[in-house]
Amino acid sequence: MKLNRRSFIKSAAAGSAIAAAGSIFPGISFAGWQKQEDASGNITWQKAPCRFCGTGCGVLVGMSGDRAVAVKGDPNCSVNKGLCCVKGFHSVQALYGKDRLKKAQVRKNGKMVEVPIAEALDVIADKIKETITKHGKDSVAMYGSGQWTIPDGYVASKLFKGCLGTNNVEANARLCMASAVTGFMTSFGIDEPMGCYEDIEHADVFVTWGNNMAEMHPVLFSRMLASRKRKRDVTIIDFATRTTRSSQASDKSILFKPNTDLAVANAICYEIIRNDWVNWDFVKKHTSFHKGKTNIGYGTEDHFSFKDKPEDISFEEYKTFLQDYTPEKVERISGVSAKDIKYLASLYGDPSKKVTSFWCMGMNQHVRGTWINNLVYNIHLLTGKISTPGNSPFSLTGQPSACGTVREVGTLTHKLPYGVVMKEGARKKAEKIWGLPAGSIDPKPTYHTVEMFRALDRGDIRFMWIQVTNPMITMPNLNRYRDGALKEDRFVVVSDVYPTPTTDVADVILPATMWVEQEGMYGNSERRTQHFDRIVPGPGDTMSDTWQIIEVARRLGFEKQFPWGEDEYIGKIWEEYRQFHDNPKHNMAPYEVLKARSGVQWPFVNGKETRWRFNTKHDPACKKGTDFDFYGKKDGKAWIWARPYEPAAESPDQEYNFWLNTGRVIEHWHTGSMTRRVPVLHNAVPEAYVELNPEDASDLGVVNGEKVKIISRRGSVTMKASINGRGVPPRGMVFVPFFDESYKINEVTLDAFCPISKQPDYKKCAVRLEKA
Amino acid sequence: MKEADKILGKVVTGFAAICLTGALLTLPADAAPDIPQGFDSDGEKIFNRFDETPLAAMTGTDGKRTLDVYYELRQYPGSPPRVPHDVPLSFSGDTMKCLSCHGRGGYDVNQNAYAPVTPHPEYESCAQCHVPRRTEELFVETEWQSIEPPRLGRSEMGGSPPPIPHSLQIREDCIACHTGPAAVAEIRVEHGSRGNCRQCHVPMIATEPRKEFTRNN
Ligand code: SF4
Repeated sequence: MKLNRRSFIKSAAAGSAIAAAGSIFPGISFAGWQKQEDASGNITWQKAPCRFCGTGCGVLVGMSGDRAVAVKGDPNCSVNKGLCCVKGFHSVQALYGKDRLKKAQVRKNGKMVEVPIAEALDVIADKIKETITKHGKDSVAMYGSGQWTIPDGYVASKLFKGCLGTNNVEANARLCMASAVTGFMTSFGIDEPMGCYEDIEHADVFVTWGNNMAEMHPVLFSRMLASRKRKRDVTIIDFATRTTRSSQASDKSILFKPNTDLAVANAICYEIIRNDWVNWDFVKKHTSFHKGKTNIGYGTEDHFSFKDKPEDISFEEYKTFLQDYTPEKVERISGVSAKDIKYLASLYGDPSKKVTSFWCMGMNQHVRGTWINNLVYNIHLLTGKISTPGNSPFSLTGQPSACGTVREVGTLTHKLPYGVVMKEGARKKAEKIWGLPAGSIDPKPTYHTVEMFRALDRGDIRFMWIQVTNPMITMPNLNRYRDGALKEDRFVVVSDVYPTPTTDVADVILPATMWVEQEGMYGNSERRTQHFDRIVPGPGDTMSDTWQIIEVARRLGFEKQFPWGEDEYIGKIWEEYRQFHDNPKHNMAPYEVLKARSGVQWPFVNGKETRWRFNTKHDPACKKGTDFDFYGKKDGKAWIWARPYEPAAESPDQEYNFWLNTGRVIEHWHTGSMTRRVPVLHNAVPEAYVELNPEDASDLGVVNGEKVKIISRRGSVTMKASINGRGVPPRGMVFVPFFDESYKINEVTLDAFCPISKQPDYKKCAVRLEKA
Repeated sequence: MKEADKILGKVVTGFAAICLTGALLTLPADAAPDIPQGFDSDGEKIFNRFDETPLAAMTGTDGKRTLDVYYELRQYPGSPPRVPHDVPLSFSGDTMKCLSCHGRGGYDVNQNAYAPVTPHPEYESCAQCHVPRRTEELFVETEWQSIEPPRLGRSEMGGSPPPIPHSLQIREDCIACHTGPAAVAEIRVEHGSRGNCRQCHVPMIATEPRKEFTRNN
């Protein structure tokens, strides 16, 4: 590979020498930070959403001169009411890593050379033209991010889908939210949660499905704990495959075998019907029953395709389907006792209790991700516990703008800001708003993310521009996709803020502004759009991702589509984008309102935010004269789906006898390219590790800190064992956090995905272990 | 050690032993009925804390914890401090384990130190903001800078009560940080027996520009 960054780690010694001196000479102030010279001592505060997770906390960035010097939680933001987590409190430090990319680089004769950014932009535009001429429009691709700002994603879609006419636009949110989207689309016909975070203060029971919220959505977890403390009779159930911090803080932890959440969800519905806890009035008025294809595959082969075929069924047929899922049968599949299944069902079934379910990657990164989303909605629909304060099936999002930029702007191959490319009406609307001739947008979707990287490997795609994401850490079955990106005749452009394993494979690197170095908007889990100003000047030649795309678009001759000036473009883009959502189901707040407030929820109708969708009392898009209106579906109903239990793509066997599960830790955001440059965060979790069950560790003969080799059919990684550490997997499972580029666990994982959502399953594949 | 200090020391240590065992009590007292919570920068907290903290625990001196020690754990004035002591790798964020020392304070033999008291025991997920240091090394050097912490002793007139130099957000409970043996030596008050702190000390945030009064017509 092309760059070596290990040398930076050596320079770290200087930092620790200072820290050591502080303890040798007590009384001499070596305080935790370097003092800003000539500072007035005054701080001014400006609002922004946090850079990191999809919780979307409001922060106040403290400025002294032109430097960000402090953070506090934004007390005006209803998400977090002044609290943050350790990442948010130290977020501004992520701007100041010494190795910030400040200059553009272009590969010349095999070596990366610094060039003026205008030259790099010329190279990119020329390469796009050349590649299209040689290989056709579908040989160039854009791979973006749920950490793109809304304008970033919007201009990417406009340039690629509109101007260039290729649907080769994807974003890393495919890896984190696609199953949530298809779950919503199949159950409700419209994306994003019906509830809002205020559900937390109303709920009596929380069930978290495969979701370690204490580390992944820490501020929401604290809100849940605070509500339990205040109300006292609140119950939190952690339903998961591994014991975590969240399990400790919960009232009960229930462990299930990987992928069997499908069976348990069905068993809960079986029990709800058997005990007649069904809310018949709701079910009759507002739901209909359906089934789809079964044995739907896993997508591990190139060109895999799948199309579901929904069929209507009756309630009786649904009930018969559930006969396979009695608690006793499911106990044998899932390892969850029939008693616990009945207990869960009784919590959902008790008409006096308001129940909120939370989930995120456990259900989404799942080879039947769409199905398990459907099945949890089934539980809430059968009991009518939905769309009312505290009754909320709540799909949390991982990234700060997976909702805002990927789901709402539609930066996925089949999507447009309004509707899908397959629909003529949606194409026409986009062509009109974008000022393009009819027929500019291709009606056929091309590649979803995994298939897009396969196409790069095969040579169907020759040019790829990657922004705000680090796929050379995060792609499953990584070896194949890295080798593919490095092949001759592949041209990779990477826009980022620090060197990463992805900039290592780049032919052009563009230095990007980060977060509050540019103006933009994010959209969080609860349909909240959050505007931030350019607060800190970006260093060197850095340029916003939006502006990079605009510059290239103009070089390609699309001045008319990208006419804005540098001091106004974000506001102009927002107002243009807003036209796509010109209806009460989706209205977005005007630019001025966004600027003034700490986040605004959509649908924003007649100056009011909608907190509970589909509920006529709260949602002006509902038909009058009914209590609920599930207007996403043509029949006005929410769909209950018969979806069976099917096993994972690869389960442990004789040879590869362990499950491998992967995920995050609270200190690090995704691949750590930002958080590892924050001293407090790196010092707390300096490297990744493999969690083992203590009994498995003793069978293997390893103690804490000894090395273990994790081997799958695709690759291997050797790392230190963590026994009784942050989390404890059950026997037969190991867990590895993926933030550490020195231990690329995705070389081991499998690129199987949910056939409906095309989202890969990072939580399940088979490995064996060796003491190293 | 002076004789009086010795006696005080014993009292405080005795108290510490008691509170270490009694730490499982819920900390914040229940709000008086019908009074909404959370107004006046959670001003109620001061009264509750004052009520439940024995005088002896407010007056002990130790002096080991100085402002330098205090700021060494922070990245800017007001940032959540790191955990300075060893935390077993197996620690998985159990609140009660933190609060058994940091809920009401007390002497810890292993640390040979008094435990600082948290000003916000209502937040239960301690490891959400406070993390230990497993290594001194950095991944990459940082160019981070922040401002000097506020100066001390900013009385407006000789001897007048100094204003509160920091924001009250998450740091509303004066008694937790400014009294007792674990209080930072330079900012510990000598008059812990007066429980209505904001009667004399009012916020005048040192890092915000000072606005003089002007009539607006
Ligand atoms: S919970 Fe998420 S959004 Fe909130 S401060 Fe932490 S990382 Fe940022």
